[in-house]
Amino acid sequence: MITQMQVKGLMFDPYNNAYIVILRDDDQSEMLPIWVGKSEASSISLAIENVAPPRPMTHDFMKSYLDAFNAKVISVVITDLSEHTYFAKVHLTYADSEYTVDSRPSDAIALALRSQAPIFASESVIRKQSSEELDQWLENLKPEDFGKLDS
Amino acid sequence: MEHVSQTNEPLIQLTVDRVVEDSTTDTRIVVLTRTDGASEHFMVWVGASEGEAIRRALDTSTTPRPMSHDLIKSFGEHLGIKMERVVLTDVKSSTYYATVFLENKGVARTIDSRPSDAIALALRCQAPIYVTQDVWKRRSGQNLDAWLSKLETKNIGAQEV
Repeated sequence: MITQMQVKGLMFDPYNNAYIVILRDDDQSEMLPIWVGKSEASSISLAIENVAPPRPMTHDFMKSYLDAFNAKVISVVITDLSEHTYFAKVHLTYADSEYTVDSRPSDAIALALRSQAPIFASESVIRKQSSEELDQWLENLKPEDFGKLDS
Repeated sequence: MEHVSQTNEPLIQLTVDRVVEDSTTDTRIVVLTRTDGASEHFMVWVGASEGEAIRRALDTSTTPRPMSHDLIKSFGEHLGIKMERVVLTDVKSSTYYATVFLENKGVARTIDSRPSDAIALALRCQAPIYVTQDVWKRRSGQNLDAWLSKLETKNIGAQEV
Protein backbone atom coordinates (compact mmCIF):
# COMPACT_ATOMS: atom_id res chain seq x y z
CA MET A 1 0.00 0.00 0.00
CA ILE A 2 1.23 3.47 -0.83
CA THR A 3 -0.30 6.83 0.08
CA GLN A 4 -0.06 9.91 -2.09
CA MET A 5 1.62 12.83 -0.32
CA GLN A 6 1.74 16.55 -1.04
CA VAL A 7 4.62 18.86 -0.22
CA LYS A 8 3.13 21.17 2.39
CA GLY A 9 6.17 23.28 3.02
CA LEU A 10 9.69 23.72 4.28
CA MET A 11 10.79 24.49 7.82
CA PHE A 12 14.16 25.42 9.25
CA ASP A 13 15.37 23.17 12.07
CA PRO A 14 17.77 25.31 14.14
CA TYR A 15 18.80 22.34 16.36
CA ASN A 16 20.26 20.43 13.41
CA ASN A 17 20.98 23.46 11.19
CA ALA A 18 19.00 21.70 8.47
CA TYR A 19 15.68 22.02 6.70
CA ILE A 20 12.59 19.84 7.02
CA VAL A 21 10.33 19.10 4.06
CA ILE A 22 6.81 18.45 5.32
CA LEU A 23 4.79 15.91 3.36
CA ARG A 24 1.09 15.37 4.17
CA ASP A 25 -1.45 12.98 2.75
CA ASP A 26 -4.65 14.24 1.15
CA ASP A 27 -6.77 13.55 4.28
CA GLN A 28 -4.28 15.51 6.39
CA SER A 29 -4.12 12.50 8.70
CA GLU A 30 -0.48 11.50 8.12
CA MET A 31 2.61 13.66 8.11
CA LEU A 32 6.17 12.86 7.06
CA PRO A 33 8.95 15.26 8.09
CA ILE A 34 12.08 14.71 5.97
CA TRP A 35 15.35 16.38 6.92
CA VAL A 36 17.33 17.74 3.95
CA GLY A 37 20.45 19.86 3.42
CA LYS A 38 20.50 23.56 2.58
CA SER A 39 21.08 23.28 -1.17
CA GLU A 40 18.45 20.52 -1.53
CA ALA A 41 15.99 22.68 0.43
CA SER A 42 16.61 25.69 -1.80
CA SER A 43 16.09 23.53 -4.90
CA ILE A 44 12.77 22.21 -3.52
CA SER A 45 11.74 25.72 -2.49
CA LEU A 46 12.34 27.11 -6.01
CA ALA A 47 10.15 24.32 -7.43
CA ILE A 48 7.34 24.90 -4.88
CA GLU A 49 7.30 28.63 -5.62
CA ASN A 50 7.66 27.95 -9.33
CA VAL A 51 10.56 30.37 -9.60
CA ALA A 52 12.99 30.00 -12.49
CA PRO A 53 16.48 30.81 -11.19
CA PRO A 54 18.79 32.84 -13.46
CA ARG A 55 20.77 29.65 -14.11
CA PRO A 56 19.38 26.12 -14.09
CA MET A 57 19.94 24.32 -10.77
CA THR A 58 21.21 20.74 -10.58
CA HIS A 59 17.64 19.36 -10.55
CA ASP A 60 16.75 21.45 -13.60
CA PHE A 61 19.80 19.94 -15.28
CA MET A 62 18.60 16.49 -14.18
CA LYS A 63 15.20 17.20 -15.76
CA SER A 64 16.84 18.44 -19.01
CA TYR A 65 18.94 15.27 -19.07
CA LEU A 66 15.80 13.08 -18.94
CA ASP A 67 13.83 15.39 -21.30
CA ALA A 68 16.60 15.15 -23.91
CA PHE A 69 15.69 11.48 -24.43
CA ASN A 70 11.96 11.77 -23.64
CA ALA A 71 12.39 9.81 -20.42
CA LYS A 72 9.47 10.63 -18.11
CA VAL A 73 9.24 10.58 -14.32
CA ILE A 74 6.01 8.67 -13.53
CA SER A 75 6.15 8.86 -9.75
CA VAL A 76 8.49 8.88 -6.80
CA VAL A 77 8.00 6.74 -3.70
CA ILE A 78 9.46 7.23 -0.22
CA THR A 79 10.05 3.53 0.38
CA ASP A 80 11.88 3.01 3.63
CA LEU A 81 13.03 4.59 6.85
CA SER A 82 16.01 3.25 8.75
CA GLU A 83 17.88 4.99 11.56
CA HIS A 84 16.32 8.37 10.77
CA THR A 85 17.31 8.06 7.08
CA TYR A 86 14.65 7.90 4.41
CA PHE A 87 15.07 6.01 1.13
CA ALA A 88 13.24 6.72 -2.11
CA LYS A 89 12.75 5.33 -5.59
CA VAL A 90 12.17 7.22 -8.84
CA HIS A 91 9.93 5.46 -11.38
CA LEU A 92 10.59 6.35 -15.02
CA THR A 93 9.35 5.35 -18.43
CA TYR A 94 11.68 5.45 -21.39
CA ALA A 95 11.22 3.92 -24.84
CA ASP A 96 8.19 1.84 -23.70
CA SER A 97 10.06 0.35 -20.74
CA GLU A 98 9.79 1.11 -17.04
CA TYR A 99 12.77 1.75 -14.79
CA THR A 100 13.16 2.15 -11.03
CA VAL A 101 16.16 4.04 -9.68
CA ASP A 102 17.23 4.43 -6.01
CA SER A 103 17.46 8.01 -4.80
CA ARG A 104 17.64 10.23 -1.78
CA PRO A 105 14.17 11.60 -0.94
CA SER A 106 15.42 15.19 -1.47
CA ASP A 107 16.45 14.48 -5.08
CA ALA A 108 13.27 12.48 -5.71
CA ILE A 109 11.02 15.28 -4.38
CA ALA A 110 12.93 18.06 -6.19
CA LEU A 111 12.63 16.10 -9.45
CA ALA A 112 8.96 15.13 -8.92
CA LEU A 113 7.97 18.77 -8.37
CA ARG A 114 9.66 19.77 -11.65
CA SER A 115 8.08 16.84 -13.53
CA GLN A 116 4.53 17.23 -12.16
CA ALA A 117 4.88 13.64 -10.94
CA PRO A 118 3.03 12.38 -7.84
CA ILE A 119 4.90 11.66 -4.60
CA PHE A 120 3.93 8.56 -2.60
CA ALA A 121 4.98 7.12 0.75
CA SER A 122 4.86 3.43 1.56
CA GLU A 123 2.70 2.33 4.47
CA SER A 124 5.70 1.00 6.38
CA VAL A 125 7.43 4.41 6.21
CA ILE A 126 4.38 6.15 7.62
CA ARG A 127 4.09 3.54 10.40
CA LYS A 128 7.81 3.59 11.30
CA GLN A 129 7.92 7.35 11.10
CA SER A 130 5.47 7.82 13.96
CA SER A 131 7.61 5.73 16.32
CA GLU A 132 11.02 6.98 15.12
CA GLU A 133 9.82 10.55 15.25
CA LEU A 134 8.88 10.10 18.91
CA ASP A 135 12.34 8.66 19.66
CA GLN A 136 14.04 11.54 17.93
CA TRP A 137 11.85 14.05 19.69
CA LEU A 138 12.71 12.52 23.06
CA GLU A 139 16.43 12.49 22.18
CA ASN A 140 16.33 16.16 21.28
CA LEU A 141 14.65 17.18 24.52
CA LYS A 142 16.84 19.25 26.76
CA PRO A 143 16.42 19.96 30.48
CA GLU A 144 15.19 23.46 29.70
CA ASP A 145 12.40 22.03 27.53
CA PHE A 146 10.96 20.39 30.64
CA GLY A 147 11.20 23.67 32.49
CA LYS A 148 8.73 25.22 30.05
CA LEU A 149 5.98 23.07 31.51
CA ASP A 150 6.13 25.03 34.77
CA SER A 151 5.49 28.36 33.16
CA MET B 1 22.24 26.68 -29.68
CA GLU B 2 24.15 29.92 -29.46
CA HIS B 3 27.83 30.09 -30.05
CA VAL B 4 30.00 33.16 -29.99
CA SER B 5 32.27 31.79 -32.66
CA GLN B 6 31.72 28.81 -34.91
CA THR B 7 35.22 27.95 -35.91
CA ASN B 8 36.94 24.71 -36.67
CA GLU B 9 39.75 25.35 -34.26
CA PRO B 10 40.47 22.25 -32.21
CA LEU B 11 39.09 22.11 -28.68
CA ILE B 12 41.48 22.16 -25.74
CA GLN B 13 41.13 19.24 -23.37
CA LEU B 14 41.16 20.03 -19.66
CA THR B 15 41.41 17.97 -16.51
CA VAL B 16 40.26 18.98 -13.03
CA ASP B 17 43.33 19.56 -10.89
CA ARG B 18 41.75 20.57 -7.59
CA VAL B 19 38.95 22.45 -5.87
CA VAL B 20 40.06 25.39 -3.75
CA GLU B 21 37.99 26.89 -0.96
CA ASP B 22 37.53 30.65 -1.00
CA SER B 23 36.44 31.02 2.61
CA THR B 24 35.88 34.76 2.34
CA THR B 25 32.97 34.35 -0.08
CA ASP B 26 31.87 30.76 0.69
CA THR B 27 32.52 29.80 -2.93
CA ARG B 28 34.81 27.22 -4.46
CA ILE B 29 37.29 27.62 -7.29
CA VAL B 30 37.57 24.66 -9.64
CA VAL B 31 41.12 24.67 -11.03
CA LEU B 32 41.52 22.90 -14.38
CA THR B 33 44.76 22.27 -16.25
CA ARG B 34 45.44 21.46 -19.91
CA THR B 35 46.10 17.83 -20.74
CA ASP B 36 48.71 18.94 -23.31
CA GLY B 37 50.99 20.03 -20.48
CA ALA B 38 50.75 23.80 -20.98
CA SER B 39 51.18 25.42 -17.60
CA GLU B 40 48.32 27.92 -17.56
CA HIS B 41 45.24 27.22 -15.47
CA PHE B 42 41.55 27.56 -16.18
CA MET B 43 39.49 28.53 -13.15
CA VAL B 44 35.76 28.39 -12.65
CA TRP B 45 34.06 29.90 -9.60
CA VAL B 46 31.19 27.75 -8.33
CA GLY B 47 28.92 27.63 -5.28
CA ALA B 48 29.93 25.74 -2.14
CA SER B 49 27.64 22.74 -2.66
CA GLU B 50 28.53 22.52 -6.39
CA GLY B 51 32.22 22.67 -5.49
CA GLU B 52 31.80 19.90 -2.94
CA ALA B 53 30.01 17.75 -5.55
CA ILE B 54 33.14 18.08 -7.75
CA ARG B 55 35.53 17.52 -4.85
CA ARG B 56 33.69 14.31 -3.89
CA ALA B 57 34.12 12.98 -7.44
CA LEU B 58 37.87 13.74 -7.29
CA ASP B 59 38.72 11.97 -4.05
CA THR B 60 36.72 8.85 -5.02
CA SER B 61 35.67 8.41 -1.41
CA THR B 62 32.19 7.02 -1.75
CA THR B 63 29.52 8.95 0.10
CA PRO B 64 27.12 6.79 2.11
CA ARG B 65 24.20 8.11 0.06
CA PRO B 66 24.04 8.78 -3.70
CA MET B 67 24.19 12.55 -4.21
CA SER B 68 22.38 14.45 -7.02
CA HIS B 69 25.03 13.86 -9.70
CA ASP B 70 25.32 10.20 -8.71
CA LEU B 71 21.57 9.96 -9.33
CA ILE B 72 21.98 11.46 -12.83
CA LYS B 73 24.77 8.95 -13.51
CA SER B 74 22.47 6.19 -12.25
CA PHE B 75 19.69 7.36 -14.62
CA GLY B 76 22.22 7.13 -17.45
CA GLU B 77 23.25 3.60 -16.49
CA HIS B 78 19.63 2.42 -16.27
CA LEU B 79 18.52 4.07 -19.52
CA GLY B 80 21.73 3.39 -21.45
CA ILE B 81 22.61 7.06 -21.93
CA LYS B 82 26.31 7.63 -22.49
CA MET B 83 28.05 10.89 -21.66
CA GLU B 84 30.37 11.66 -24.57
CA ARG B 85 31.97 14.92 -23.52
CA VAL B 86 31.54 18.32 -21.93
CA VAL B 87 32.49 21.53 -23.72
CA LEU B 88 32.82 24.92 -22.06
CA THR B 89 31.31 26.87 -24.91
CA ASP B 90 30.85 30.46 -23.87
CA VAL B 91 31.66 33.15 -21.34
CA LYS B 92 29.55 36.26 -20.72
CA SER B 93 30.22 38.73 -17.90
CA SER B 94 32.60 36.24 -16.27
CA THR B 95 29.90 33.53 -16.32
CA TYR B 96 30.78 30.33 -18.14
CA TYR B 97 28.34 28.21 -20.13
CA ALA B 98 28.73 24.52 -20.86
CA THR B 99 27.22 21.98 -23.23
CA VAL B 100 26.88 18.32 -22.33
CA PHE B 101 26.99 15.84 -25.24
CA LEU B 102 24.95 12.67 -24.70
CA GLU B 103 24.35 9.63 -26.85
CA ASN B 104 22.01 6.66 -26.70
CA LYS B 105 21.66 3.98 -29.37
CA GLY B 106 22.97 6.28 -32.09
CA VAL B 107 20.80 9.22 -31.01
CA ALA B 108 22.90 12.25 -30.05
CA ARG B 109 21.54 15.01 -27.82
CA THR B 110 23.08 18.12 -26.27
CA ILE B 111 21.97 19.97 -23.17
CA ASP B 112 22.96 23.38 -21.88
CA SER B 113 24.38 23.32 -18.40
CA ARG B 114 26.21 25.21 -15.73
CA PRO B 115 29.92 24.23 -15.82
CA SER B 116 29.61 22.90 -12.25
CA ASP B 117 26.93 20.32 -13.15
CA ALA B 118 28.70 19.40 -16.39
CA ILE B 119 32.05 18.87 -14.64
CA ALA B 120 30.54 17.02 -11.65
CA LEU B 121 28.82 14.59 -14.02
CA ALA B 122 31.80 14.27 -16.42
CA LEU B 123 34.11 13.19 -13.58
CA ARG B 124 31.62 10.52 -12.48
CA CYS B 125 31.20 9.22 -16.04
CA GLN B 126 34.91 9.46 -17.03
CA ALA B 127 33.90 11.80 -19.87
CA PRO B 128 36.46 14.26 -21.25
CA ILE B 129 36.15 18.01 -20.56
CA TYR B 130 37.00 20.51 -23.30
CA VAL B 131 37.09 24.28 -23.71
CA THR B 132 36.84 26.15 -27.01
CA GLN B 133 39.88 28.18 -28.10
CA ASP B 134 37.75 31.32 -27.87
CA VAL B 135 36.68 30.69 -24.25
CA TRP B 136 40.22 29.68 -23.33
CA LYS B 137 41.52 33.02 -24.62
CA ARG B 138 38.86 34.93 -22.71
CA ARG B 139 39.25 33.03 -19.44
CA SER B 140 39.40 34.93 -16.18
CA GLY B 141 42.11 34.56 -13.62
CA GLN B 142 44.96 34.56 -16.12
CA ASN B 143 47.08 36.52 -13.72
CA LEU B 144 45.67 34.92 -10.63
CA ASP B 145 48.08 32.05 -10.15
CA ALA B 146 50.00 34.00 -7.51
CA TRP B 147 46.79 35.02 -5.79
CA LEU B 148 45.59 31.42 -5.84
CA SER B 149 48.73 30.06 -4.20
CA LYS B 150 48.44 32.79 -1.56
CA LEU B 151 44.80 31.79 -0.93
CA GLU B 152 45.79 28.15 -0.54
CA THR B 153 48.61 29.04 1.87
CA LYS B 154 46.18 31.13 3.88
CA ASN B 155 43.72 28.25 4.04
CA ILE B 156 46.39 25.88 5.27
CA GLY B 157 47.32 28.43 7.92
CA ALA B 158 43.70 28.76 8.99
CA GLN B 159 43.35 25.01 9.40
CA GLU B 160 46.31 24.92 11.79
CA VAL B 161 44.72 27.42 14.16
